Amino acid sequence: MGCYLSTSKKVQKPGYEEPNILASETPFSVCEVEALYELYKKLSNSIIEDGLIHREEFQLALFRNKNKRNLFADRIFDLFDLKRNGVIEFGEFVRSLGIFHPNAALEDKTAFAFRLYDLRQTGYIEREELKEMVLALLHESDLMLSDDMIEAIVDKTFGDADTKGDGRIDQDEWKAFVSKHPSLIKNMTLPYLKDITLAFPSFVVRTEVEDSEV
Amino acid sequence: MENKGKTILMQRYELGRLLGQGNFAKVYHARNLKTGQSVAIKVFNKEMVTRVGMMEQIKREISIMRRLRHPNVVQLYEVMASKTKIYFVMECVKGGELFDKVSRGKLKEDVARKYFQQLIDAVDYCHSKGVFHRDLKPENVLVDENGDLKISDFGLSALLESRKIDGLLHTTCGTPAYVAPEVIKKKGYDGDKADIWSCGIILFVLLAGYLPFNDRNLMEMYRKIAKGDFKCPPWIAADSKKLLRRILDPNPKTRFSITRIMDNSWFRKGYKQIEASKCPPLSNRDGEDFMDIEAAFASPSSESSTMSSSEEYAMKPYYFNAFDLISISSGFDLSGLFERDMISQREEARFITTTPPSMIVSKLEEIAYKDSIFKVMKKNGTVRLEGKKRGRQSQLIIDAEIFEVTSSFHIVEVKKIVGDSMEYWKLWEQDLKPSLNEIVWAWQLIILATLLNYFDPTQIIISSGTCLTLFKQNLKFSLVDGKNDC
Repeated sequence: MGCYLSTSKKVQKPGYEEPNILASETPFSVCEVEALYELYKKLSNSIIEDGLIHREEFQLALFRNKNKRNLFADRIFDLFDLKRNGVIEFGEFVRSLGIFHPNAALEDKTAFAFRLYDLRQTGYIEREELKEMVLALLHESDLMLSDDMIEAIVDKTFGDADTKGDGRIDQDEWKAFVSKHPSLIKNMTLPYLKDITLAFPSFVVRTEVEDSEV
Repeated sequence: MENKGKTILMQRYELGRLLGQGNFAKVYHARNLKTGQSVAIKVFNKEMVTRVGMMEQIKREISIMRRLRHPNVVQLYEVMASKTKIYFVMECVKGGELFDKVSRGKLKEDVARKYFQQLIDAVDYCHSKGVFHRDLKPENVLVDENGDLKISDFGLSALLESRKIDGLLHTTCGTPAYVAPEVIKKKGYDGDKADIWSCGIILFVLLAGYLPFNDRNLMEMYRKIAKGDFKCPPWIAADSKKLLRRILDPNPKTRFSITRIMDNSWFRKGYKQIEASKCPPLSNRDGEDFMDIEAAFASPSSESSTMSSSEEYAMKPYYFNAFDLISISSGFDLSGLFERDMISQREEARFITTTPPSMIVSKLEEIAYKDSIFKVMKKNGTVRLEGKKRGRQSQLIIDAEIFEVTSSFHIVEVKKIVGDSMEYWKLWEQDLKPSLNEIVWAWQLIILATLLNYFDPTQIIISSGTCLTLFKQNLKFSLVDGKNDC
């Protein structure tokens, strides 16, 4: 790697953010953010060596196949890409993963899931969106169900969740539905994030944490 | 500043008194500011670590300790670092070194046996995870305030992967008086047999109060070790003497294995294997506890017909709504972002079936009663297979939770709740998967297979992305079955 002459003592990579700042805004500690950076470096240089996570790199990590598209993985990528510039920067990566931390607030997880399922970002989960997602899941699992059966599954869930009966699920209805079925946001928690410093110990060599901060 | 005099690390830990000091590190007592939990923090001087080329070893120690979760192994919680220091945040063991207990003289036979049992349990566990300690000695074995033993200091440990082509380890390490003869001879050795030797030395020290092989002249000591030349003091009883001879056998091939040690009558006396302490109660998906009803559905005894009992009990599966269904997509499974071996810790699989719940339950019971190694418990939509304890093997508990999507379409989640990974893997491959295949329409998320990639390098890594293709053949079969069912 080249060495830049810079007034600040540290070379800033594109999309890089200070671990201190990220730690203060997320459930992660400074060291955990640095350990996540070790992971980020791997992910963001796996295909295009520019230190940014592209969609193909995300798919490669998730499915071991850079060309495998999946509606839900796409949605996650889009939500991680807060700036909507087609790549996940380090700060976006840490802030979004923070929601998946076991210690993150349930409200944050619930809200994240809502945005995920609100495919067209209308502020509501519409019946058509739910059906589209059910179809995607069945397709992904190679399952062929009759259209009647799929309609029945969607109807039943909509009947339970759309308590106001206006044909769409709003944020409040979603919150109520999740509190009745907490398992719905089980996939919003990644237990691995708890021992991230043990999984990526290389950060101990490169850490920039000043001793005074210790 | 108010906190003057108190050192706060990373705004998370308050550093307390110095507990010990080694060549490269100091160990302090500390307290987690948020939870109040007592921990031990091992502080390395980074400059020194780099100077002596120990950085790789430290990273390896972290990866090794991360794999280990056992009541008799000191747990590493997290690692922190600054520009000049590295901190290991570890389980705090309040009792001190086993060494201190022995330095006051030999232990009572029962006390020595208890420590030895726990030591063997822990070493057996480490070996099952592919970890060899290679530096077992009373200084690296701690005893907590309840008198329970904890192995620490994996600084010299090796992973199974580090074996050379001959399948043996080649680095000489450890402390001379505790090191097995084949390690001294530098011929390459089996990590497990070398650890067992060290356990034998520890047992001797516990019972005798001194080392079996000790000589001012190092060459003379090595000669004695190589010949297994030691004398037992008269107060060591005949049966423990016999066991010591079988463990301190200079020939690693004839030396007792852990299985043989655990079958030994002296060892077995009062032996209580670690209980499956963290086994969660059988509960339904919304977290309600059903322990009270559990008794009512205790497994049928061997006399009663197992089939009838399954018919008597109607399963009440949790209703899987459309969002539940979506949430199982592999697209949400971010574990793929992490390294492969992190994924390998998951031991669960999910399948979709058109078989009615009563038949799913019968299938599971058929598996459970095949070698009558499990008892079966049922609660709402969950069937729990609880392994009966057999000798040294740890108890295995497996839950199969049935979810209803529609009346003709169910999803079953099978996961290991407690037990040894290797045993579960074997059971999964030999019994569970082949039997379940008969009722499976499609598998989803077979993650379990990565489990033993270190155990068998030829093992194909199956991740969520590839499982479906692998099971395509079964799928075709089952689809036909499914149609017949409808």
